[in-house]
Amino acid sequence: MGLSAGAGKLPVVPGAAHEKDGSPSFLTTRLDVVVNWARHNSLWPMPFGTACCAIEMMAASASNYDLARFGMERMSFSPRQADLLICAGRVTYKMAPVLRRIWDQMPQPKWAISMGACASSGGVFDVYSMVQGIDTIIPVDVYVPGCPPRPEGLIYGILMLHEKIKGESITRSDLRYELPDPYVPALPDEKVEQITVPFGNSTSQNKVSGLVQVTALKRPGDRRS
Amino acid sequence: MSDKLKDALAGLAAGPESSDAAAASERGPAADPNLHPSVAALRERFGSAILHHEVVAGDEHVVYIPADRVIEILGWLKAAPEQDYDFLKDVTAVDYGGGRPLQVVYQLWSIRRRHGLRVKVELPLQALEIDSVTGLWASANWLEREVYDLFGIVFRNHPDLRRIMMPDTYAEGHPLRKDFPLRGRFSRLEQTRRALAVNLERDYTPEELQVGGTPVQIGTTGASGEPRP
Repeated sequence: MGLSAGAGKLPVVPGAAHEKDGSPSFLTTRLDVVVNWARHNSLWPMPFGTACCAIEMMAASASNYDLARFGMERMSFSPRQADLLICAGRVTYKMAPVLRRIWDQMPQPKWAISMGACASSGGVFDVYSMVQGIDTIIPVDVYVPGCPPRPEGLIYGILMLHEKIKGESITRSDLRYELPDPYVPALPDEKVEQITVPFGNSTSQNKVSGLVQVTALKRPGDRRS
Repeated sequence: MSDKLKDALAGLAAGPESSDAAAASERGPAADPNLHPSVAALRERFGSAILHHEVVAGDEHVVYIPADRVIEILGWLKAAPEQDYDFLKDVTAVDYGGGRPLQVVYQLWSIRRRHGLRVKVELPLQALEIDSVTGLWASANWLEREVYDLFGIVFRNHPDLRRIMMPDTYAEGHPLRKDFPLRGRFSRLEQTRRALAVNLERDYTPEELQVGGTPVQIGTTGASGEPRP
């Protein structure tokens, strides 16, 4: 994309590269593209591993699968220096305020991946002590299904998040918000109420939460060139 | 579906209410007390206070004793030189449902003599109270807290009887009781609200909240600084 304004004579800077053929040596682009390019290529994950999914997450960051390819080689065990919360494993109600606190401690911009069936919907643990999907506690960007997902699954989810980040705009203030304190559920009351029924998590939560829009899903292979 | 499974499901459906059919004891046939030296000695010393003796899982000797003599009998098992049960492996409880009494289980082990014994106490649902054995074995402290938390059995004279697994503010009851609904008593909304209302600074000490704090090594030296034997 070249600069063609001032169609007449281009200013000639002595010593510049364009001096010889007259073509401009700079290009313009949208600030969003630059910002999103920087953000999605250097996501620093905060691993919140509570169960077997965390083993697969470790495998994904080890040499065979090598998350460092995506600028994620630095697992940030401090939420203060993290961009991406990967909740890998089942979360009990006793851990719910801890998860929310860690989310609050992460600086903006931040994203969350819910890895595996338990984090996404409670999984088989439809019992008194288990959070039925962490989207009742924190806002989730990508759900990775599986029990546990293979490292390829997690990487696929991360690539989906890349696509999501590429579509963001820094002018949209609704993308960046902090949750209220004192803590209340992250979903509207009636939506949390609907998962009270047996296995309401698995059968209806994703539909009622409104967080999943099939049309919004995009395969990394469908990327615009 | 086998008859046994049908009976078990019927028992679950019957809930905590008492019934004559359900009142049948879970005890097995009486075993020969001479198979285990401690059981023979218990029979000789305490007589009818040894309510029942059975062998389960091949060689696991189980002795039933009355609730009001727990300290006396377990104390003797610990102190008597030929018994010497110096290690309390586990304290737990069993609820068979159907209004049957809850069983408190003490799993004893003698490190020096290498023999073990399981002692059970039956508590009716109306009187879930028993003396704490923390005075005999310090390891009973957290184990009895766990039984209290999950079964609601109160241990008298326990130094620190509060919940250990569920949050301190948990108001739905005791989850491992058979009359406890699988998904809890509150709706998911109420459970989520209550979980998020927990004040972390109040419920956890600064040491617990500090990530990667300095590990503290305890119990390796005596008061004089000499290593313990």
